[in-house]
Amino acid sequence: MNPNLAHNKEILVFLLTSLGLIVLPHVTHLPWGVFGFFSFLLAWRFIGIWKPEKLPSFPWIVFLIVCGMAVLYTQHRGILGRDGGTSLFVIALGLKLMEIKTERDLYLINYLAFIVAASQFLYEQSILMAVYIVFVSCVLLATLVFINSHIADTTVSLKKAAAIIAQAIPMAIIVFIFFPRVEPPKWLWFNDPQQKKTGLSDTMEPGSISDLGMSDELVFRVKFEGALPPPKNRYWRGPVLTLTDGKKWVQARDFTYQRYLDKPKFSGPFYRYTLLMEPQEKDWVFALDLPAEFTKPLAQNANYQLTTSDDLRKRTEFKLTSYPTYNTGYLTKTEYKDARQLPALPSERIKQLVTQLHGYDRPPEEYITRLLNHFRKEDFHYTLTPPLMEDNPIETFLFETRYGFCSHYASAFVYLLRVAGIPARVVTGYQGGVYNELGNFLEIKQADAHAWTEVWLENKGWARFDPTAAVAPERVEKNIDINSLVPNGAINYAAPDSSLAALNLLKQARKLWGHIDYNWQRWVINYNNANQSIFLSSFGINDFKTMVYWMMAIVGIITAVLSLILLYQKPKQIDPELAVYNRFLKKLAKQGYVKQPGEGASDFAERIKPLLTEQVDNIENITSAFIMQRYGNNPSDEGLKKLSKLVSLFKL
Amino acid sequence: MKNLSIKERFGLDRFFLGERRVDGKPLTLNQRRIFILPTQRGLGFALLIGVLTLIAFVYNNNLAYMLAFLLASVFFITILHTYKSMAGLTVQEGQTTSVFAGEAAGFGVHIGNPTSIERQHVQIKLKTVEHFTLKPHSKAHLTLYDVTQKRGWHPAGTVTVFSTYPLGLFYAWSPIRFNAKALVYPKPATQEIPFPETGSTKNLQGRFKKGGDEFYGLQSYQAGDPIRHIHWKAYAKGLGLYTKQYGGESSAEIWLDFGHAPGQSLEERLSYLCRWVVDAEQAGLTYGFILPGLRLEPAHGVAHYQKCLEALALF
Repeated sequence: MNPNLAHNKEILVFLLTSLGLIVLPHVTHLPWGVFGFFSFLLAWRFIGIWKPEKLPSFPWIVFLIVCGMAVLYTQHRGILGRDGGTSLFVIALGLKLMEIKTERDLYLINYLAFIVAASQFLYEQSILMAVYIVFVSCVLLATLVFINSHIADTTVSLKKAAAIIAQAIPMAIIVFIFFPRVEPPKWLWFNDPQQKKTGLSDTMEPGSISDLGMSDELVFRVKFEGALPPPKNRYWRGPVLTLTDGKKWVQARDFTYQRYLDKPKFSGPFYRYTLLMEPQEKDWVFALDLPAEFTKPLAQNANYQLTTSDDLRKRTEFKLTSYPTYNTGYLTKTEYKDARQLPALPSERIKQLVTQLHGYDRPPEEYITRLLNHFRKEDFHYTLTPPLMEDNPIETFLFETRYGFCSHYASAFVYLLRVAGIPARVVTGYQGGVYNELGNFLEIKQADAHAWTEVWLENKGWARFDPTAAVAPERVEKNIDINSLVPNGAINYAAPDSSLAALNLLKQARKLWGHIDYNWQRWVINYNNANQSIFLSSFGINDFKTMVYWMMAIVGIITAVLSLILLYQKPKQIDPELAVYNRFLKKLAKQGYVKQPGEGASDFAERIKPLLTEQVDNIENITSAFIMQRYGNNPSDEGLKKLSKLVSLFKL
Repeated sequence: MKNLSIKERFGLDRFFLGERRVDGKPLTLNQRRIFILPTQRGLGFALLIGVLTLIAFVYNNNLAYMLAFLLASVFFITILHTYKSMAGLTVQEGQTTSVFAGEAAGFGVHIGNPTSIERQHVQIKLKTVEHFTLKPHSKAHLTLYDVTQKRGWHPAGTVTVFSTYPLGLFYAWSPIRFNAKALVYPKPATQEIPFPETGSTKNLQGRFKKGGDEFYGLQSYQAGDPIRHIHWKAYAKGLGLYTKQYGGESSAEIWLDFGHAPGQSLEERLSYLCRWVVDAEQAGLTYGFILPGLRLEPAHGVAHYQKCLEALALF
């Protein structure tokens, strides 16, 4: 189009505004230096729309590029990985703004903006964010429509872009469902904190995680020599978290007490198995509760957790023996102190609850039963996407939100026991595992990460309790993916007392939202290789080839439907008098008297009259009747009928 | 529309020059005539989709996948939209104008939109590009210009209707081979030379060399009167068109003979002869015209003038 399109004020305002919209949500996680630098450049460019002389000259641009690199270096020391990469693209986008010379630059900026928009998803994957990004994409496409329009108009461009996106969505969904998902090779991980988060950590902070990583990544495989332990005994021990500040749980400072030279007393059946660890970052080996026999390079700490001194970056195999029945015996003084540690004096609410459950006046076993019943009977819910509880998470969870996953239940349970003076602690690790018939082994994935508790009881030692099982027994007792249970109603989101819930619209709405959000997590965010094959095989699509055929077929159908809708042209509505007159013209044309395009009806009549001397009257009548009907002041039905009759009678 | 043989169907010139046509009827742009390919920007967009897919793959991020797929669908659907931006339009050749060599010949084009879809941005190209928007059930008349070099017939060649609407990712084009041709007269010599002295002009020599300059009255305008003699002031006052009459015009008679035209080559001589014709017509002289094999009796006015120029162009 016009060469000066890159200086068109409207386009620039449109483009710069959409860029602002795209970078805006990055404010929460971009370093302030990067965000500030970008905002500065954007503001400068905005001023430059009306005062082009204020834009930087070439040496200044070089200086700005150096500044940008300096900002990048001081904030990230690199451009690889999620954070560095996002900052790189944001800064590149800002710098490119300083040099908009041709239409091509506009396109380049537009494309860069799409990459920045996509990087937003690496930080947040909520429904709202997805809707926001679709909206922003619409604005970005509208700038392209704007550039390519002859008479540019903001509303028309936005409408066109919105229409294109709306038409594109069905096909995008189909490709999303069928596109083969492959786990990226490990070397592609840029040592990102985001990637590490999926594994177990040595701390736990339930209130500050709003959704739990549900990665399908394999952690380890276990092959048993004999029978498999029942699902309720499949607890794979990881770090034990004893100390808390009310929010965060960490390991005890010292867990190599001399006492642990005394081995626990094991009894009953035992399991011999081979554990095959996938490459990992930490030196933890997740043995079945409780490991009794192991060989070097394994070592056991005071919390009965196994660690290895072997190379962690390669797959390693360990032969182990575990006993599900054991007695750990007495407690040391330090251990006793640590296991009863409280961050502060409990509040009145907590004390009331403990009193109500007879925590102070009955034996620990009875109190534990009442406590588990409390979780089961009251309005507690298991969810992988609980609300954030930044402030006093345990009390908020117990009395207000009541939505949580294993960490919430384990921490609240341990806390309530400690208030009653009973030694307790949180154990993290994995729970469950999927049995693979072909290989005869259990597969334990990151999504199986779990947190449970241990309570020290007289004559029993440390005993395992899993409060999550009280709320969502299916999570523990059966070997089913927790995700598949919620849509089936196994885990109930609806309040037991529906009449009460009906009164509380807000609560209902929140539950509905929770349900939508859960399905979003389950079907969109966590739609991976495994989910995909389960979903597709329910339609009888089992192998890659059929998958591709189906995708092509459905995309083809959508294309056909879209083409029909888009390209079908309604036959033109012709005014009745024109249709009649055209009949007259057709009769004349057959004899070689053709009306020229642009020739008026009366001009045509004048031209053919001398050629058709015996028809002069008819031609005059028809022409004048037609002109009266079409251009006259009061066209009537009789006039039309008369014209029609005249034409019918007209013969050459 | 006739059916194409296989060879014609896949001939390269069909994609760039357009199909050979026999008639001058309005032509509807349809799937047979509209071709479509991604633009450079479209390829850039495809690269963007690739980068987004790579990001999605590395981070195993489903929403990034979704964005990539959404843009891929947008890319795909844009093909339909770009096609739609010009499908169904009708194109018909209009009038051509005759020009002197070196000037731009104008080829008229009638473009119609018989459909109920508004065409936001269609472009048409001969040598230069014209932009237009067509409302539903409307027509546009355009003139495309092409600079001429040589005298004779100048064919319009291929007129290309194209569009990159809406996103600029695809280029849809429809080459239409125009049958129209413009007549190009020789370029009049730049140097002014006196009219040749032929028999009948001898007795008028000196007086009518450059036409009469003695004004003697006004006469109502007749077709063929030189434009520069029109009395514009009177016309501006709303009195109608009048031509200023100059002394002796009607009686001046010269012969413009190819044999008397100076110059080395044929073209040069035609060029001088052309200049004479132009000057004589402008001066309002009555002139006869002689080319080898052609002799036009003295006359003046547009018809005579054009006859002379045509003869020069096609000689």
